[in-house]
Amino acid sequence: MTALISAELLRLRTTRSVWLLLGAAQVLIVVGISGVMLDRDDAGSPAVQQAAVAHIGLVSLFTLVLGIMAVAGEYRHRTITDTYLTVPRRGRVVAAKLVVSTGAGLVFGLVTALFALVVSAVWLAGRGFSLDAGAGGLWLTIAGGVAWNAAFAALGVGVGALITNQIGAIAAALAWLALVEGLVARLVGDAGQWLPFALGSALDRLPTAVDGPPQWLAGLALTGYAAVFVLAGAATTLRRDVT
Amino acid sequence: MVDVSVTGLTKRFGAVTAVRDAGFTVAPGVTGFLGPNGAGKTTTLRMLLGLVRPTAGAALIDGRPYARLSEPRRVVGALLEATGFHPGRTARDHLAITARLAGLPAYRVGQVLDEVGLAGDARRRVGGFSLGMRQRLGLAGALLGDPPVLILDEPGNGLDPAGMAWLRGLLRDLAAQGRTVIVSSHVLSEVAQTVDRVIVMHEGTVRFAGTLDELAEPGPAGLEAAFLRLTSGLQPERSRS
Repeated sequence: MTALISAELLRLRTTRSVWLLLGAAQVLIVVGISGVMLDRDDAGSPAVQQAAVAHIGLVSLFTLVLGIMAVAGEYRHRTITDTYLTVPRRGRVVAAKLVVSTGAGLVFGLVTALFALVVSAVWLAGRGFSLDAGAGGLWLTIAGGVAWNAAFAALGVGVGALITNQIGAIAAALAWLALVEGLVARLVGDAGQWLPFALGSALDRLPTAVDGPPQWLAGLALTGYAAVFVLAGAATTLRRDVT
Repeated sequence: MVDVSVTGLTKRFGAVTAVRDAGFTVAPGVTGFLGPNGAGKTTTLRMLLGLVRPTAGAALIDGRPYARLSEPRRVVGALLEATGFHPGRTARDHLAITARLAGLPAYRVGQVLDEVGLAGDARRRVGGFSLGMRQRLGLAGALLGDPPVLILDEPGNGLDPAGMAWLRGLLRDLAAQGRTVIVSSHVLSEVAQTVDRVIVMHEGTVRFAGTLDELAEPGPAGLEAAFLRLTSGLQPERSRS
């Protein structure tokens, strides 16, 4: 398994996609935090600072794509044939991708958190405030945002294994987050707080997440989603002929 | 020596039977795997490699299905038509990933790139490679584990005349080292110069398996005549119906 994980790590860092996604995520951070800082006069308050760093969690959109590409990208470029020829036990391939992608999601979260703190501090200094590092809520949001990044990367591996068409998988995932979840939430009422983006919002303590489950439970539920998708993806991928 | 044997092998995709009760064994040397498009060659090779699950029958390498080999890349090297590369990755990185996955030493990457004549292009992205260079890179991947069995699906695709001459030499060298090489092709003149044995498939069934001498008069014309006789609609068994 060590060899598989080391190979997946090499696979991840030998294309430009991962660096492009990480770069794009930092642009989102700058734009998002600047938006909050420009909009609010009370930038010194813990609530505003928490709303600013909560953008870390939204980077999970990028880690979701990263996870999808780990599996579906291999089908797109047809390197999957070579991978299965080398490791015929396909479950091990999916397991290695899950470990490496989740780890990459965690790293995305940590790098983004650091950058978000720097961007916030620079904005606050410019406006004569300082980061309230003693506020417990701030660190809970940062930790939740990082965890959301890791959970969505794992979920992406499951989605990519289930829908091996990369363009289709990314389109379906983004459509769900941008549109479908909102529509479904209206149909199901209170149960809507258990849908993936709502859970992520609760985990990240986004200002829009009110009345959601507590942070720890949201994290647990998201892990459950990731597990269900990975198992379903593995069950279908393992049986499918590679033609 | 590693045995390759196929018995009663059948694959149905829905209503279509791609391969029907195919059987043959492959000995060391170069075996040509021939048949018109849609004959079931690629499906048979993919079943041999564990990529496609047989509906019935067995395809065994060293007495085991491919998926049961403990270190498959050290036993079988394969080049398939659909083998792909990430266009943004260099040739060297592509092979380095496979080497790590297979638990092979990293120095094999440089060796096989040398062997296929791509040493100078090792650090280039595969997206800029010609079809011939991709074939060479695919062959490098097949040779990575120094395997006694090689399964090559249309390895001559995209090679220029010099490349074809090089490939012919490579196949002969591999056979001379005692390896078992299965080469599918539809270029009969090429096959006539290279192979010791032939397997001919048509409409999902094996029509001939034996030495080239048993099948045809020497030379490309003899092979072509035999091939057309085996794969035309004028089979005795079919004219009865």
